[in-house]
Order: sequence, then C-alpha cells, then structure tokens
Amino acid sequence: MTERAGYLPGLAADEVEWRVLRFGRGIETLEIEVPVLSDAQMAALAARVRDAGRHHLKTLSTARIVNIIDQAIARLLDRDDPYRRKAEALLPVVTGYDGEMIRLGLTGYLKTFRKPELNRFLAEDFPNPGILDDFQPIAKGGVARAFGPDILVHIWAGNVPGLPLWSLISGLLVKAGNIGKVPSAEPLFAGWFAQILAEIEPSLADCFAIVWWKGGDIVQEKALLKEAELVLAYGGNESLAAIRSRVPVTTRYLAYGHKISFGMISRAALDVRKATTAAHQAAYDVVRYDQQGCYSPHVFFVERGGKVSPRDFCRYLAHELASFERKYPRRALTIAEAGDVAAWRHQAELKVLSRPEHEIMGDAEGAWSVAYVEGDDDFAPSGLNRTIKIVAVDSLADVASRIAPYKAFLQTVGIAAPPDELYRLADDLGRVGVTRISALGQMTAPEAGWHHDGRFNLLDLVTLTEIEHSAEAVSDSFAPYVD
Amino acid sequence: MTQTQIIDALLAFIAADGATEDEFNSLALKLFVYQFENNLPYRQFSLQRARTPRTTKSWRDIPAVPINVFKDLTLSCCAPEDAERTFMTSGTTMGGIRGKSHHPTLAVYDASMTKNFKQRFMRERETIRMGILFPTEDIMPNSSLAHYLALAVRHFGTPDSNYMLQENGIDFALVFDALERAEATGESYALLGASYSFVHLMDEMQRLGKSFVLPAGSRLFDTGGFKGQSREVGPDDFYNQLSASFGVARRDCINMYGMTELSSQFYDWGNEICPSVKSGPHWIRSRVINPLTGLDVPRGDTGVLVHCDLAHFNIVSTILTEDAGVEVDDGFLLLGRADGAEAQGCSMAVEEFLKAAQA
Repeated sequence: MTERAGYLPGLAADEVEWRVLRFGRGIETLEIEVPVLSDAQMAALAARVRDAGRHHLKTLSTARIVNIIDQAIARLLDRDDPYRRKAEALLPVVTGYDGEMIRLGLTGYLKTFRKPELNRFLAEDFPNPGILDDFQPIAKGGVARAFGPDILVHIWAGNVPGLPLWSLISGLLVKAGNIGKVPSAEPLFAGWFAQILAEIEPSLADCFAIVWWKGGDIVQEKALLKEAELVLAYGGNESLAAIRSRVPVTTRYLAYGHKISFGMISRAALDVRKATTAAHQAAYDVVRYDQQGCYSPHVFFVERGGKVSPRDFCRYLAHELASFERKYPRRALTIAEAGDVAAWRHQAELKVLSRPEHEIMGDAEGAWSVAYVEGDDDFAPSGLNRTIKIVAVDSLADVASRIAPYKAFLQTVGIAAPPDELYRLADDLGRVGVTRISALGQMTAPEAGWHHDGRFNLLDLVTLTEIEHSAEAVSDSFAPYVD
Repeated sequence: MTQTQIIDALLAFIAADGATEDEFNSLALKLFVYQFENNLPYRQFSLQRARTPRTTKSWRDIPAVPINVFKDLTLSCCAPEDAERTFMTSGTTMGGIRGKSHHPTLAVYDASMTKNFKQRFMRERETIRMGILFPTEDIMPNSSLAHYLALAVRHFGTPDSNYMLQENGIDFALVFDALERAEATGESYALLGASYSFVHLMDEMQRLGKSFVLPAGSRLFDTGGFKGQSREVGPDDFYNQLSASFGVARRDCINMYGMTELSSQFYDWGNEICPSVKSGPHWIRSRVINPLTGLDVPRGDTGVLVHCDLAHFNIVSTILTEDAGVEVDDGFLLLGRADGAEAQGCSMAVEEFLKAAQA
C-alpha cells in the first residue's frame, strides 16, 4: 500500500521528486512517499504561502478561522470520514502503537480543538482576542493589534499521532502563513489536516504547506529557514542546537526540547480503594504512547504512612501494567530501544544486589517493568517503553528539592493529593521548573489551552503593533473636522 | 581449579589448533565455577538470575554480565591490588565512571592477542614495519588498546617501527616521512590506530592535497569507531577514503573489534564489503540475543551480541555488550550500538539526560 505525505500548494505531483519511506512489519506494511523539494521549489512554496497568507488568511476574522478549524476537527472526529478512517488504519502501521490506543487518543486529543476549546486557547493568551482582528485599547494606554508572522516554520519531531496539530492550529489562529516539516517517524497526519482545511475553505488552500526532508539535511533545512519569520522546533537538545545555529539571527526561534515528567501520590490517596484507582491511572499514563511524550511519567514518588505502602503500591502498579499489556500491547521495539529497556532493567537489578530493599518486577518478555527504590535514588529518565520507577519517600514535600537540579527538563507532574497539599506541592514544584500539574490518568492529555512548557501558545507567535496615545491624540489636530 | 591451573589450562587451550564445541563448553563451565566461587558480586548476579554452576550445562546458559556493570561492581577473582595490570574503559559515557578489568597476569591476554593477531592481521608475514597512531603503553598504562598495540610492535614490528602520536596529536611530519619512505623503498608498511585518528590524519592530508600509494603487502588497521573524537564517517565512506588516501585496497583494511571487558579480539578479513563479517579465535564464542529476554534471536535477525571469552578468566568470561549484530556464516555482522535510542516523541531519554546534566 502506498500513501503520499505532504501538502504542496502550487506544485504538481509530477514536478516533485518523491522518496519512499517504509513502515510496518509482517503483513501490515505501508510505503509512504515523501516529497524532496529543490531549493527553487522550496522558495516558490514559501513565496506562495507568504502571499496567500497576506491576502487571504490575514483578511479573515479570528472567529471565521475558528469556525474553519472547528469544521476540520469535526471531520477528523467523525469515524466515517475518509480521513479519519485513513488515520485509524494507517497510523498504527506507521507508529507501531496499538490501534485502539490511537483511536481513543486521537479522539481525546482532537476534542481539545473544537470551537469552544479554540476560544479558550484565544482567551488564555489574549484578554481581548479582538486584538488579532483590529486595533484594541490596551492597559497602558493607546491601542494595539497583534500580527502573526508571514512565514511560520514548524519543525516537528517524533511519532506521537497528531502532535503537529498543536502548533499548526496555533499558527492558523494568529493568521500566520504556515510551513511545517513533518518527521520521518510520522509524516502523514499534518498533511491530511492541511488537505481537509483546503477542502473546507478553498480560499485558504495556499496559506500553508507541509514539507519533508531527512532529519539533519542541512541544505533543505537552510532553504526553508531563510524564508521564515519565526521558527518553532521540537526535538532533542542536540538537534535543536543544530537548528538554532542555522536560523538567521533576525529570525525568532522557539525551541521545545525533550522533557521529563513524573507523578506524586500522597499517603491520603493510599487506602485500598483509592490506591487501586491511583495505580490504574498511573499505569495508564505510562502505557499511553509508551512514555514517548514529554508529559509521560518516568518516576512516581509515593509517600509512606498510608494504608497501602509504597512497596504494595508498586505491586498494584505492576498488576495494572500487566493487564494493560493484554489490552493495549506495547509496540514492537527497535533493537536500540530494546537495548535501552534492557540496560535500565539491568541497572535496577544491579541496585538490588547492593540494596536488597530495592525490587524489580516485570514480565519475562520485558513488555513492562517496575523498579521499587528507597532513599535518595537519583532522579533520571526511565528506559522508556513502559519502564517505571517507584520511589518511596517519607514526605512528598521533600521531592521538590530533589528535582531542583533538573529545572530545565521538567514539565508535567501528575498528583494525587488533597487540596491543601496539592497547592502546597504545586507552589514548590513551580519554583523548581514544573509547568503543568494534572490528575493521575490525565498526564498525557493536556487540557485545551494548555501553556506548553509554561509558555504562551499564541502570544509567543505574534508581534504587537502599538499606536501610542500621543499619536492618537495628535492625529486629532490633523483631522478635517478639527475645530 | 586454582588460578594456576586455570592459567595453564587456558594457555594450552589457546596454543591448540582449534577446539570442538564440547572442549569449549567444558572449559567455559570450569571457568564459570571458578568465577562463581571466587567473585562474590558475580555469584550474587548469577543467583539473581537463578543460575548456579549446578544448573548450568552449556556456555550459552552462563549469565552474561552487561558491560555497564563493570563500572559499578568490582568483578575480579583476585584482589584488585594483586593485579599485574588493570585496564580501564575510556569513561566517555556514564559521567566519566570507568569500568575496570583486573588481570593477575597478562600471560593469557598476551597469548590470546599474539596468536590471533598473527593469524588475522599478519597472516603470511612474520614482521612488518609499523606506524602506530596511538599513545604508548607508558603514557596510557590503563588502556588495553595501548597494551595491545605495544604487543603488536614488540612481536611483529620491525625495529624501525614507531609511534606517531605525540601529546599534542598526530605527528603528521613523521607519518608523511614514513609513508614516503615506504613508497620509495617498496617495503610494505602497516599503519595501525584508532578509527578516529585515521579521520584526523585524512582530514590533514586532504587539507594538504596529499595521498600515498603504499607498496603491495601494505595494510591498515583501525579499531574503536569514532566515539565523538572525530566527525562520524559511514563505513563505506571511511574505507573508500582510506583506500584512496593510502593506496591500500579495502580488502587489506582490517578492522578489529575488541573491548576492555574482553581479553580476545575479533577481526574481519578486510572491508571490501561493509558491514564486514567479524570472527574470533577458537577460545571465544558469541551469541546474538534479544536483550529483553536473554534468548537467542532467530538466525538472521538483529540482536545484541554476547561474547564468551575464555581468556578473560579473572573477571567474567561472558559479557552482554551494547553492540547490535546479526549472526552469519563464519561470524557476525557488527551493526553499531544497540542503545541510545531517542524517544519517538518529546520524552527525554537517559543518554540525552546524562549529556544535558553534564553540560
């Protein structure tokens, strides 16, 4: 089976060179053709998007754009829609994730981009979203209008289905011309979304493009970066640093690096009934996308002193992971990934030799593993792919100081604790760099309008043009109706 | 068996022309008993995997120690202070902590190295003029590669062989002199060193527009990959460039695969085709396993390499590497590292975290 990735307004398919990426194992295989553009094609594409953005997208009201996105999302939520069906059929082959997990994940995720949620996005960042449409009074005096960039370049990474929508929709809401570069690990979804938008509103068909190049292809990357007014990039620190070195100095660059997230379970949540629920939710956070997301947990800090001890909680969690493995089996691992999981397990096993109070549990196939540790164990990422560590602590209040050295990498914390403790912990965690606190079970499903890594999804994309009060006041003296 | 008996048995085993599976198995199991009895951390490690000498009937069942463990545990059957020599890993990973291999005597290591090197690198020759692109053993007493290359020069190098790496890097003038002399005299020549040193050397040659055509019988030896010490070069590019720079055919460019955690090495029969087939002498055997289950992968599938090196008698003979490989006729293909995968999403992976935390 063959599917074509990308979205290239103004370029006919036969003018473009296509390369084939192969996915899947066994009987389920898929060939995806990805476009390889020449410098001239990239430049032409950028010119077209810039021009169309100025003349079409920027003339629409934000409310109209919200309506268009809402319609596109409605199509992707409709399980009978051909694009949705394609997504459900092909994404499991491309990413290796369980089909049912993808279906549920997509629905939950897409629901955060419907009209009410999009309005929330806007309200989160702009006290008066009208500022995207016209000059509006601002607090210091005078008026201002927010403009999105003519060319916003997105460099996406990873295979978590649908992830590119986040920044692409943000770009559309601020009326930017968008050019996104899809990763080889999941090159399809962004292109489908672009096609749907163009079908719904043909006048916008030229306002965005979806391209591809092989990660690290400097020539291609530079060809696009020089067209950008703002660059959004996702990935590991090494690739982000490499991209940054190639972004022209006058172009703004926003980088979203890899992050590490974890969970905290208060003794108040550790009676038998609540602990069972907490373990189920914690396991779900681990299982969803096999810990590949920045919001995925690597460690759970579990407080001593509850009716269920941290060690018992570990068994609860192991039990839940084992049953999830039957329901949503882990995706097949590459040899490097398997090596990392094995190394993580070996490390944990080794610890048990010197610290007999530690423990390691897992199934024989290595589909999931839980390590139980006590004391001042180092805070570190898991081996990914359903490897999780439980750290027993006397008090959750001690956790913040332990993770403080890792401020630059922290993101989400899933907390099960009573309200006063929740606020106390949140305050301490915020000081050391945590930017999002969710319930257990919700770690991998940020709510609409989430401030990704604590930043502003929309506000960070725009520039304000201000008319200062003086200009307004003096202009009166030049009016034909001046007295 | 006592240490002396073990050493004698090994020297005899290495000196023999070959070994059957049974002969290999028998000595491997004796060594496992010796290591299980004299190496407490290894005994604990084996017990954790529910393995004792009593339940172990084949070298394939001997618990393989992940090489990372060498950084955390003292794996030695003799007291470390009684070791004649201790080799250490370079410490480029794991925050600079270095894995150690203690050798109560180098007699077995040396016997293993020289016999194997003669068969695989020297082949028909007794001696050859050598240039070594690596520091001497005096400068790096804890480097197994420095010792290995010192053995090569001592046993197989002509008297006018020399080291060409000074404290501030490769002595290019010395290298170019030696290569020009070889060209002029027609005497075959061997250049040996770390793979990354060859990259540095070829970069300099390219800068100067230099290349050589070494006489027939000349050969090149590289080992160890690039380890972030030079730019990364794909294997085909690397051997094409070697061949073009020194006028040595790719089949005479020999790559050695070895590690501090072993006392024997693997070689290919040249690198005409990459990846080349690697194989070792009769006192080392390898498996290709799924690192998660520890079971052999179906033949032809990629897995992680486990080596059972009888010569590494004082430490542990059976190690689980971080190298990916495929079993083929007459050996295995080495496919690079089997770890360090970046997350497919935006989650942080251990390796990146360690790098970032050190930065």
